[in-house]
Amino acid sequence: MRHAYEIFGKLDTPGGSEEAWKYVESDLSFDFDLVDTPGDPLPEGRFLRALTADAGRATLVDGHTVFASGSRLTALSELDDSRQVEIHSLLPPDHDRFAAARTAFSTDGIEVEIPAGTVEEAPVVIDVQAVTPGASFPAISVRVGENAEGSVVVVYRSPAELDALTSPQVGLHVAQGGRLRYLAIQNFGFATTAVIHQRAQVGRDASLRVGEVGLGGRLGRLDLGVLLEGDGGSVEVVGLSFGEHDQILDYRMTITHRGRSTSSDVYLKGAVEDRARSIFTGLLKIEKQAARSSAFETNRNLVLSEHAKAHSVPNLEILCDDVVCGHGSSVGPLDEDQIYYLLSRGLSRARAERLLVKGFFSEVVDRLPVQGPAQQVLDEVFGRFVEAQAEGRLG
Amino acid sequence: MTGLAIRDLTAGIGTSQIIRGLDLEVPYGEIHALMGPNGSGKSTLCHVLTGHPRFEARGTVSLNGNDLLGLDVDERARRGVLQAFQYPTEIPGVKLQDLLVEAGEERGIPPEEMTERIERLAPVFSMEPFLERAVNDELSGGEKKRSELFQLAVLQPRVALLDEIDSGLDIDAVRQVAEAVKSMRAPDVAVLMITHYSRILRYVIPDRIHVMVRGRIVESGGPELADRLEAEGYEAWRE
Ligand SMILES: Nc1ncnc2c1ncn2[C@@H]1O[C@H](COP(=O)(O)OP(=O)(O)OP(=O)(O)O)[C@@H](O)[C@H]1O
Ligand SMILES: [Mg+2]
Repeated sequence: MRHAYEIFGKLDTPGGSEEAWKYVESDLSFDFDLVDTPGDPLPEGRFLRALTADAGRATLVDGHTVFASGSRLTALSELDDSRQVEIHSLLPPDHDRFAAARTAFSTDGIEVEIPAGTVEEAPVVIDVQAVTPGASFPAISVRVGENAEGSVVVVYRSPAELDALTSPQVGLHVAQGGRLRYLAIQNFGFATTAVIHQRAQVGRDASLRVGEVGLGGRLGRLDLGVLLEGDGGSVEVVGLSFGEHDQILDYRMTITHRGRSTSSDVYLKGAVEDRARSIFTGLLKIEKQAARSSAFETNRNLVLSEHAKAHSVPNLEILCDDVVCGHGSSVGPLDEDQIYYLLSRGLSRARAERLLVKGFFSEVVDRLPVQGPAQQVLDEVFGRFVEAQAEGRLG
Repeated sequence: MTGLAIRDLTAGIGTSQIIRGLDLEVPYGEIHALMGPNGSGKSTLCHVLTGHPRFEARGTVSLNGNDLLGLDVDERARRGVLQAFQYPTEIPGVKLQDLLVEAGEERGIPPEEMTERIERLAPVFSMEPFLERAVNDELSGGEKKRSELFQLAVLQPRVALLDEIDSGLDIDAVRQVAEAVKSMRAPDVAVLMITHYSRILRYVIPDRIHVMVRGRIVESGGPELADRLEAEGYEAWRE
């Protein structure tokens, strides 16, 4: 803790020149006070309301666990010290200033445990809120035991105008033969800066399905690292984002194949309008011993306004011959041939564009690992497009 | 005349002319075939009539005496100018059913009525399995043609532009397509059917056959013209 605090003091705030922040071009600042006492929780929003059945719920406000119900959930502050330390060392403090700050200042969090052999149909729902101006560093740990099966939904939110810095961490551990479906909906307010670190470890013959929905934040970074450790493990990542006004939505992803016959499939779609920017940096790493593995990565971006920008940087690092890999990325406006086809059926241009945008996103929404809030997610991105269209911000 | 009338139509991209002074009339109630060598401009003609922005067009095109060239693509479509494309665009994520319902809404047709129409016509074209699938996405060549004709049937054209809807079809499918074309014949519908094969013309007897070479109609005649083309090809008009 003291050690992390010193590292935090020594590290620079990340900025434009560093590789990991190259396209972000945001004026990050750590000039925030840590929130000591959690504020009043927000009323239940539409994403949470859509999750009617659950296997437990927790509410984290300003980095403090204020509510937890269900036998699968334990507040971190109730765990013994060594376990707490273990959870907080998900990333070494020298990873970056956010990791250092988290290790130094993290207050509380929640652990989800699906014991070996149990099958939990309904998702565990975690509501992560920032409501007080300041900084918060909540931690989430999910452990799925051997041959167990479960799902977790994390919804991140803050009031529209809240000037806050938050850097949550999420650790996912899926033991041998286990199956985890994990959905993160990042819906912070437009004045909040959020850097979310997620790290997953997938054991032998285990499977992880990740859904990432990026909607909110002045700057919203979803950083995901997946290690396919055991033979036969698999991960599927499906994500979508919609950036409006001057939002910056940033996805970083590293998938490491270590076990033999491991497979990964990444499928991300995003749209940006007005002056919004999105960045996708995806690295597929296949280690030497990961024979007979397969890895696919697709990133499609719609750039809907003249001053909006999308960067797509897929990378492969393959140290093994016996693998099948593929990656594709695209950045551009709506397809003119598709628009022409719809016009030729009598749809107005505005209607044709709406239909295409809905189609673009429904392909990924249909694949989200937890379908409960899927319709609300589609309504949200579609609503953003319709609003931008009505207000003449496109083109 | 009631129907489609094209006079002295010129169209191209930039300085290169593809349609060069073309005259053609397809009266309501008739089915005309348009034949011609590869690259003679048949598909371009269809796109110009549909209103593709890529082509600059001059001359006059009218439907029932009303000018078409000044209208946008979608406005023409709502007036009934509908094309079955030779190479239909794939639209992943957009379901055929949704496309047709939206097309109906744009015409003031309530979704329930459109759905009823879709459900009535889908079996005729064996399109039931495709309604919930994305438009043209991962369809076989023949399935795409069927989907194009089905869409036209649902949207009820006044001018049907059928661009090679019989190409790449198996024998049974050609017969099925021919039946669909025949059923389009109506007192307020003009059908222009582009084909390379006299095979389909054995099932659909056209009122007129036109031969197009290098952007012009060079010969028009009755159904017997198909036999002459079959025997002699386009050699006589090439120079
Ligand atoms: N977008 C385009 N850009 C440049 N040239 C074009 C374009 N579209 C068509 N052309 C040219 O115009 C000419 C006519 O093409 P078109 O597709 O209309 O022929 P077609 O008669 O339909 O041929 P086919 O029987 O092979 O379908 C061809 O020489 C073609 O290369
Ligand atoms: Mg053609």
